[in-house]
Amino acid sequence: MTSKLPWGATYRLSTHCPRCLSRLPPRRTLTTPPHKLAIAAPPIDLTSLPPPNPQNARVVPASPSYFTGRPDSTDNYLNLLALLRRYQTLPTVPPAQAPRVAWRTVTQYRLLVGEPVRASKYHKIVEVLQRLNRIHPSVIPLDLSQAMEIYKRDVDPYAVKKKPAIIDEDGRAYGVGRRKSSSAKVYLVQGEGEVLVNGKSINNVFGRIHDRESALWALKATGRMDKYNVWALVTGGGSTGQAEAITLGAAKALMVFEPALKPALRRAGCVTRDPRRVERKKPGHVKARKMPAWVKR
Amino acid sequence: MMIIRKALIRQGHRIAIAPARSWTRALATEVDIASIESSLSNSLRDTKSIELQVQNETIKLVPQIDSRTQSTQNLLEDNTAAKYTQLQQHKKLTNPLGSRIAPHYQPHFLVNDPPRPSDITLELLLASQAHLGHKTSHWNPMNSRYIFGIRQGIHIISLDVTASHLRRACRVVAGVAERGGLVLFVGTRPGQDRCVVKAAQMAGGCHLFERWTPGSITNGHQILGNCRTKVVDEYDREITGYDEELRDRPVLKPDLVVCMNPLENWVMLHECGLNAIPTIGIIDTDANPTWVTYPIPANDDSLRCVQVIAGVLGRAGEEGQKSRREKAMHGNVTYTPSTLATGVSTKGGRTGRSGEDIRGLQ
Repeated sequence: MTSKLPWGATYRLSTHCPRCLSRLPPRRTLTTPPHKLAIAAPPIDLTSLPPPNPQNARVVPASPSYFTGRPDSTDNYLNLLALLRRYQTLPTVPPAQAPRVAWRTVTQYRLLVGEPVRASKYHKIVEVLQRLNRIHPSVIPLDLSQAMEIYKRDVDPYAVKKKPAIIDEDGRAYGVGRRKSSSAKVYLVQGEGEVLVNGKSINNVFGRIHDRESALWALKATGRMDKYNVWALVTGGGSTGQAEAITLGAAKALMVFEPALKPALRRAGCVTRDPRRVERKKPGHVKARKMPAWVKR
Repeated sequence: MMIIRKALIRQGHRIAIAPARSWTRALATEVDIASIESSLSNSLRDTKSIELQVQNETIKLVPQIDSRTQSTQNLLEDNTAAKYTQLQQHKKLTNPLGSRIAPHYQPHFLVNDPPRPSDITLELLLASQAHLGHKTSHWNPMNSRYIFGIRQGIHIISLDVTASHLRRACRVVAGVAERGGLVLFVGTRPGQDRCVVKAAQMAGGCHLFERWTPGSITNGHQILGNCRTKVVDEYDREITGYDEELRDRPVLKPDLVVCMNPLENWVMLHECGLNAIPTIGIIDTDANPTWVTYPIPANDDSLRCVQVIAGVLGRAGEEGQKSRREKAMHGNVTYTPSTLATGVSTKGGRTGRSGEDIRGLQ
């Protein structure tokens, strides 16, 4: 159906041509018919320079900091100082309210520039960066924030959010514990006080009373032995290692149910992962530390 | 009572405002033991309650900032940007108002807009404390020809001698720059970095404001071997494709060295002397004038004097560079081109500029 409206209105009303299925092309605002487009060559540029002539070439330093021996880091420092001078009158925030940034470490910066930069020199750079970071976020210029991006770590550690430990739909809390070379996965559920370790009763797994007690120390110290059921899967190590691994795993699972118990568990000694491992034997020693008997000759 | 009063004073002004009413009232009325005792107990109760109030207020917890994003969002919403723009507009309106201050010394002008060789006057040098030498007992007799006299126990440098030597140094720097030479400006004392960097920038040369690594000239390959160089034509445009060749070339040496503190950089001056590199230096009354080729007798301890001299020499280099470019425009190449392979490498090597991994740092 042809429309009696002017050209513009037709376009606004529908994008489909009434006679064909394809869309109408977008209307150009300053349309010139194709046969009237410019065909003449562009004007002569008398101001441009002739092409480079290798016969007049000379070798010069790429940076004015050539003779410092560390041109890139020196240039970086000078650029930051120039930025600071330019933007030093912008409003700032107190250091506690400035966005928390993890700047690159000295080693990372050395890798970045490929120069043996002194640590004291890099700390001066970081000082300038911290002052620039204090500029109020609403007035910080774009070129400044772009210049600061390069000095930030590739992975922002402050953006890492720990996943909160949850109780799943079956009412289980999960905790992992390790000690020596043992690793334990412990599930805690509200219950009567049943304990299963690797599918067996705890009396079968741990022959020593000490091991049995220490494995469930988290529940015993807080007086919750009859409130939770424990399901533990332990691998590696020996009896003591496995028992202590269950201690830690059970404590972590218990903290999911009752986070307020953390100080009590810490006092009971269930919260810290014991980092001790068997020390290796060294050459010249009989064992890790024991040395053979001293002989006069 | 005195003990109570002392306790009140210790607690601070706020508590002192809350008066111990019963104490003064007790004095005004007839002295009565029972009333004194009751007033005492009242005062004690007041003090204790006021103490409790103070303790409660001081144990106030600081509100925790939950997450950084939240605090940043709060900062974006407090209308600092609007207030700042208002301030800028207000400044623009009110800046032309008020009295006009007579021309006076503004320290930043010396670095941002240094004087030219034509601006060298004895008044400028005097104002920059260029005439102040060291104690007479610390002098080096070799530069007795530059000393005007003694005043208040120090040697005074002749400013006309200073001016003439400075003008000569300007001619040298301009000449070297005009012939495409590399000028190195050195100033290693704290505070000399800005003027040295600015002078090098104007003269198209290099700067050094931290310790000179000994052997940078005599053992250049070891120390400066990793520093990038580039190939440019007579119009200072970079020509790409010489990467491999540049790696095999020997390390660059400066054609002229300008030193602001020769006493600390005697190793560098010695290296320059070994390699036939002329040097310009600010020679104080205790410095050795034979260490440099073109001494400028002046005060090297005054930052203002160093800024004037560095600025003037930088301007001279700028004039030399300008003259060189103008001659290049007329087809007159003022320097001897380096011997490079005329055929450009077809492998399309990396340019002499910063690599891709640190792009954007400039």
